[in-house]
Amino acid sequence: MQGFAVALQPANLLWCLVGVVLGTVVGILPGLGPPATIAMLLPLTFLMNPAGAMIMLAGIYYGAKYGGSTTSILLNVPGESASVVTCLDGYPMALQGRAGAALGIAAIASFIAGTVGVLGLMLVAPPLAKIALSFSSPEYFALMALGLAMVVLLAGRSMMKALLAMLVGLWIAGIGTDPFSTTSRFTFGRMELLSGVDFVVVAIGVFAIGEVLANMEAREETRLLPVPKGLRNLLPTAQDLKDCRFAFANGSVVGFLIGVLPGAGSTIASFISYGLEKAVSRRRDRFGTGVVEGVAAPEGANNSETGGALVPLLTLGIPGSGTTAVLLAALVLWGFKPGPLFIPENPALFWGLVASMYIGNVMLLVLNLPLVPVFAQVLRAPVFVLYPVIFGISIVGVYSASGSLFDVALLAAFGLLGYVMRKLDYPAAPLILGLVLGAAMERALRQSLMMSEGSLSILVARPISAVMLSLALLILLIPFFTKVNAWRLRALDS
Amino acid sequence: MKEIAALAVIAFAGSFVETAFAQGFRPARPVEVVVHTGPGGGSDLLARAVALMVEREKLLPVRMQVANKTGGGGAVAAAYLAEKRGDQNTIGFFTGVWLTSPLTSKEAKISLRDLTPIARLVLEPAVIAVKADAPYKTLADFVSAAKQNPAQLKQSGGSITSRDNVVRQLLQKHTGARWAFISFPGGGERMAALLGGHVNMMVIEPAEAGEHIRAGNIRVLAQVSDRRLPGFPEVPTLKEAGFNLPAVPQVRGVVAPPGIPKENVAYWEDVFLKLTRSASWRKFLDDNQFEDGYQNAAELAKFYDAFTARMRDILEDAGIKTVR
Repeated sequence: MQGFAVALQPANLLWCLVGVVLGTVVGILPGLGPPATIAMLLPLTFLMNPAGAMIMLAGIYYGAKYGGSTTSILLNVPGESASVVTCLDGYPMALQGRAGAALGIAAIASFIAGTVGVLGLMLVAPPLAKIALSFSSPEYFALMALGLAMVVLLAGRSMMKALLAMLVGLWIAGIGTDPFSTTSRFTFGRMELLSGVDFVVVAIGVFAIGEVLANMEAREETRLLPVPKGLRNLLPTAQDLKDCRFAFANGSVVGFLIGVLPGAGSTIASFISYGLEKAVSRRRDRFGTGVVEGVAAPEGANNSETGGALVPLLTLGIPGSGTTAVLLAALVLWGFKPGPLFIPENPALFWGLVASMYIGNVMLLVLNLPLVPVFAQVLRAPVFVLYPVIFGISIVGVYSASGSLFDVALLAAFGLLGYVMRKLDYPAAPLILGLVLGAAMERALRQSLMMSEGSLSILVARPISAVMLSLALLILLIPFFTKVNAWRLRALDS
Repeated sequence: MKEIAALAVIAFAGSFVETAFAQGFRPARPVEVVVHTGPGGGSDLLARAVALMVEREKLLPVRMQVANKTGGGGAVAAAYLAEKRGDQNTIGFFTGVWLTSPLTSKEAKISLRDLTPIARLVLEPAVIAVKADAPYKTLADFVSAAKQNPAQLKQSGGSITSRDNVVRQLLQKHTGARWAFISFPGGGERMAALLGGHVNMMVIEPAEAGEHIRAGNIRVLAQVSDRRLPGFPEVPTLKEAGFNLPAVPQVRGVVAPPGIPKENVAYWEDVFLKLTRSASWRKFLDDNQFEDGYQNAAELAKFYDAFTARMRDILEDAGIKTVR
């Protein structure tokens, strides 16, 4: 209640609105992310009171997760790294004329999961942060292995092709400086590659550029994408909402729990939530062709992740991601001392922030739903307008993230890779999965082995890690079970 | 069209004025401040804080704009500055990694020595911390425990070329004890590993340690600093704890592209000297528990050599190949 007294002050309401609007815009623009935006606004926040400033900066953080899905769905250009998975079913939905439904579901899933994330932050933050500390390298390795096992669920027709694509992703993750010995790996003598390949460059290249290249090849009459008329046809149907019941819950819980872990992050949360959704779905085979749960689960997960990520930041002063690191720096610059005593000593600020996040999520829903029909009209543009725009957005996005022309050249190279993969029917998602998990997984494994002096038993001797590795094994067996089941059904028939 | 032509004329006139009055150099355009970290990284935040203080203290006639040139452990930013030879409106904020990366990576061809030194600004001291329920009351306790259980104890830290590992290597060489060093890329993960009891010791920034000490989570055994820090009046320095080792601080400072006129160097030296004598700077150092590390250009150039030589020894002791 004290929190709402803070959050409902007119000035703080205004800052909350400014934050979520800015966040939505930043989320829609590929490349420019919340950490850069918050860092740029830091000087401005010195003129504000800390509660208002914190409310605004947090608004940018979770607002960006709402906006991130927009370009993923409409243009196959991931707006944020956490929205890559949204491309898998969101873009096919747009191609079928259901862009409005996809955008609407993304907003609703974001709202539900975002609110659940704040509830978690409010109710269980301190005890949960303690539990998160029992996670260390072996557990992270097991979590990444669980994520990587999802590859069997992301495969298209050929498991072999999916595994090959994943290996390429893992290889790209290995490019750069070895984190432990400082040896250069696959840098081809280029200093730009010393710190590795930026994940966003690969994702935009393989998804957006590859898709456009493949489509340009077809020398048919330029046709318009179907966009249904009438507001009702542009929003999710009751059936869509019913299909997403489980996805909403899944995204909310998975996202929040993974968010609490300082070493994971929202991209991993969205992949795991998507994989889980597919693993338990009755229409598993239709994922990737535009099912609405495939949008709801990852979009929910990346929103509740925000609430989770604030748990270690505010209860322990431990940042788990780029954005929370900037928020931590902001708190220090304003004269606070983030750490275990932050909440007990600054209750008004903490509860004000929590209350503002409830309000902010409502604002975002109210802002985003009316925008859905507007954004859906983008697809009315003929392809000879749309494709150059996608190219432009992709190049500007990559350049604005790093300020490096080398990255633009890499974008072109990965666009070509995406094109070739499409032609040869290799799925792109396993490549991205390998890339997202590869570096973190390698680090976690080598850290574990350093802890155990080279003995692999550390991975199974620790209970949490053992449970997650068993789950990973179960997931790997899913295609096998499916085959056995199909064979059994055939045998019964004949 | 007319406007563009007019702008071009003004710009041309501006560049003419700049050369005509080169003796009394003053930047005429916004100054680009190159940092090697992304937004929110250590150098980025320092550069943004400095830009704000410079504005508040009215030390520059123009604004400072931060440019993030990330990658290669400082190599990309250093190369960017080297390409801007003679550019009068660009400076860069460096850290020790700009000196170490060229030692370990063939690809990092530009060292601080190829750029124009301006000033050293900050020294960041550190403290050595263990979990509050650990049995070690002093650094000597920890070292003797490490001796009794060779390679059993663990320290969490940053990269292998980071200051955390330098402190470990120096201590190991000095005492003969051995313990493992586990690299975590993010500061948060390092701290979580210590608090979760997955590692035994950590070299940590004083400001970060302060809150966990107040909450009773960790204990500080010694400080990596020449003098006792105001925030830790009770904790011995390495020397006082009986370990006669150099305090290895994290350094931050300012460089400019190669080939700029002498008077520009003098101008920048003056700006940063005034900054480090200002009240805003004092407060900034206190808030972050940094130490004033001001050195002028000539002293800074000497500092490079001492730093590089020590780093080379440490890397060789750690079994890491140096390429230059």
